[in-house]
Amino acid sequence: MKKMITALTLGAAASLWGGAALADGVTLHALMEDVPETAIIEKMLPEFEKQTGIKVEFEKVGYGDMHDKLVPQLVSGKSYYNLLEVDFLWAGEFPAAGWLEDLKPYAKKSGFDTSVFIPSTMKLLGDTDASMPLIPMYNYSMGLIYRTDLLQDPKLKATYKKETGQELAVPKTLADYVKVAKFMKAEGKVAGAAMQGQKGDPNAMEFSNYLFSAGGAYLDGKNKVVLNSDAGKTALTLYKDAITHAAQTGALSATLDDTMRLMCSGKAFSMVTYWWMLPQIDNAKSCPSVAGKVALSVMPGGHGESGGWGWGIPKNIPQDEKDAAWKFITWVQSKDVAVARAMEGHAPVRADVYEDPAVLKKYPFYKQAMKVVESGKSFPIFTYSAQYEDTLGTQLSLAASGEKPVPDALSAAADGLTGLMNK
Amino acid sequence: MAHSARAGWAFAAPGLTMLAIVMGLPVLYALAMALSSMTLLRPALHITGVGNFLQIMSEPLFWSSLGLTLRYALGAVVGEFLVGLAIALMLRQVVALRGLYFAVLTLPMAMAPVAVALIWRMLLQPNLGIVNQTLTSLGLPAVDWLGDPHLALKTMIFIDIWQQTSFVVLLLSAGLASLPREPYEAAEVDGAGPLQQFWYITLPLLRPVAMIAVVIQLINEFRTYDLVYILTRGGPGVSTELLSYFAYQRAFKGLALNEGSAAAFILLLIVLLITVVFFFLLERRKS
Repeated sequence: MKKMITALTLGAAASLWGGAALADGVTLHALMEDVPETAIIEKMLPEFEKQTGIKVEFEKVGYGDMHDKLVPQLVSGKSYYNLLEVDFLWAGEFPAAGWLEDLKPYAKKSGFDTSVFIPSTMKLLGDTDASMPLIPMYNYSMGLIYRTDLLQDPKLKATYKKETGQELAVPKTLADYVKVAKFMKAEGKVAGAAMQGQKGDPNAMEFSNYLFSAGGAYLDGKNKVVLNSDAGKTALTLYKDAITHAAQTGALSATLDDTMRLMCSGKAFSMVTYWWMLPQIDNAKSCPSVAGKVALSVMPGGHGESGGWGWGIPKNIPQDEKDAAWKFITWVQSKDVAVARAMEGHAPVRADVYEDPAVLKKYPFYKQAMKVVESGKSFPIFTYSAQYEDTLGTQLSLAASGEKPVPDALSAAADGLTGLMNK
Repeated sequence: MAHSARAGWAFAAPGLTMLAIVMGLPVLYALAMALSSMTLLRPALHITGVGNFLQIMSEPLFWSSLGLTLRYALGAVVGEFLVGLAIALMLRQVVALRGLYFAVLTLPMAMAPVAVALIWRMLLQPNLGIVNQTLTSLGLPAVDWLGDPHLALKTMIFIDIWQQTSFVVLLLSAGLASLPREPYEAAEVDGAGPLQQFWYITLPLLRPVAMIAVVIQLINEFRTYDLVYILTRGGPGVSTELLSYFAYQRAFKGLALNEGSAAAFILLLIVLLITVVFFFLLERRKS
């Protein structure tokens, strides 16, 4: 009996030892948004695995599913995702909940230079003197993508001139944009604006562009809520007008994917969207109907919504996995890899990548993209930003569907923001 | 206690213990969360009382969600029952390929609700979906199935009926197959027509099975979450924000596990109440 117990104990010890040895080959699991940026990095993963022996697996889902999948993992005993892609909207919530490692000591220990990142991209992700919860991954500022062929169509130009007395051109103000979009729907046989009106992130992000374009803001310099202003009313009135009279059928339930498909199929004149969508739409292989007929501009009015993603490391994983995740972050954001990503259409966060001659030669529109990034303004970032997207989205949806008057919806959206900021 | 009763309890004890562990404990924990100050930001369980229940019940959105849930559940169950009964009665007459009909009919039931929602989302896509393409090719206007606040809930009810009716068909078919022949033979001798036979014999005899089908489906409908999540996220506005989605949003977007649990507990109480009432009615009918 004693021999049997000894044998069993030795066996168990051997299996534990074996398990520890297996843990050397860490596999990183990351929940990633299913967008071109992810595909670009995914193609490069074999190179990282070859260099380090660390395997990286991406689980790609739509944006709307990410927060709901991440939070249960971050509150659990051990997170399945040991490398995090974190939206700037969660950059208030995740550190406040204590879910993220502070990356400052990691950067210091490994000598990783964070001064190469555009300062606004670091600030957007909660970087302070005391801590650095996230490292910038890519930016997503929003601008206007529009059809040049429709703007230059002689028949449409003549009709527009006859109807309005103005030239049909790239709009300079938000009111002009909505007017042109409505005209395109009436005369151009296309949706004037491919709009993502589903409540929540889609319509909250889209409306933010209208708000900033109209000269409005969510907060003033002292973090006081100023959404319910004349500019806010103008923005929401024009947003409702656009979704009712210029957008595609079903805009109130549409998401980014829906607008992308519509624009790609040639059935829309314009879309307010992320600037890096341009190469995807201006692509003869994936969007033959519109390739060569689209261009990017800063939101009419001069300012659009700015945003960005960052890399993070969860607290509730073993140290060897944290170290592996940090190794990956420093690799993927290094100059060489960032330039290689940019050559494939990456939206840079490092200033030196925007200035790289090879990148500018291949993508001259990065100059325009830089203007979009520079002029972008941010959605309010605080602990309950994700919840505020839903609060705001609900009010926008109620206003856009005619269920609630614009002043009431705007007032409720402003009160909701005040309430959550005071929570 | 009699010896046989003690033996009965002894035999049932392992099963009851398992049930208490896997069902009772989570429910009690959910109740504790609902009565606590627990949030995702402050995950400690400190019991604070019924404040969370009072908080959510003071919000118009909660009552709107509850009202929508009742409308949704009633609409879906009535639709499923009527369509299911019609199909079950028709299948009763079918002899050839009966197995094939049942196999095809049970296909939607075998599909995951998420898959069903994704399929219908594509079919009903306003601009590129096949339903609107067909309508416009026939010269009819495109319909905004999920983007029109007056239509979105009805569209969801239709999709639910499409998926869940097969379950009702199966239950009612089993009930119809077990009905005795004698009352029908007597009715035929008395000269009763098919409608009279259906109204005075089939329906009364089928009532116990029908009630079970209705109560099971009501419970299912009250718990609906997947369709809302995939199809509308509760929109446009709040026109499809059912109570289950309200609870989830409150817990995971609002980070308030306590308020989310309170909403979920209210949902549980409603479902329990419906179940108890139905079984009471069923027992009373039997006695």
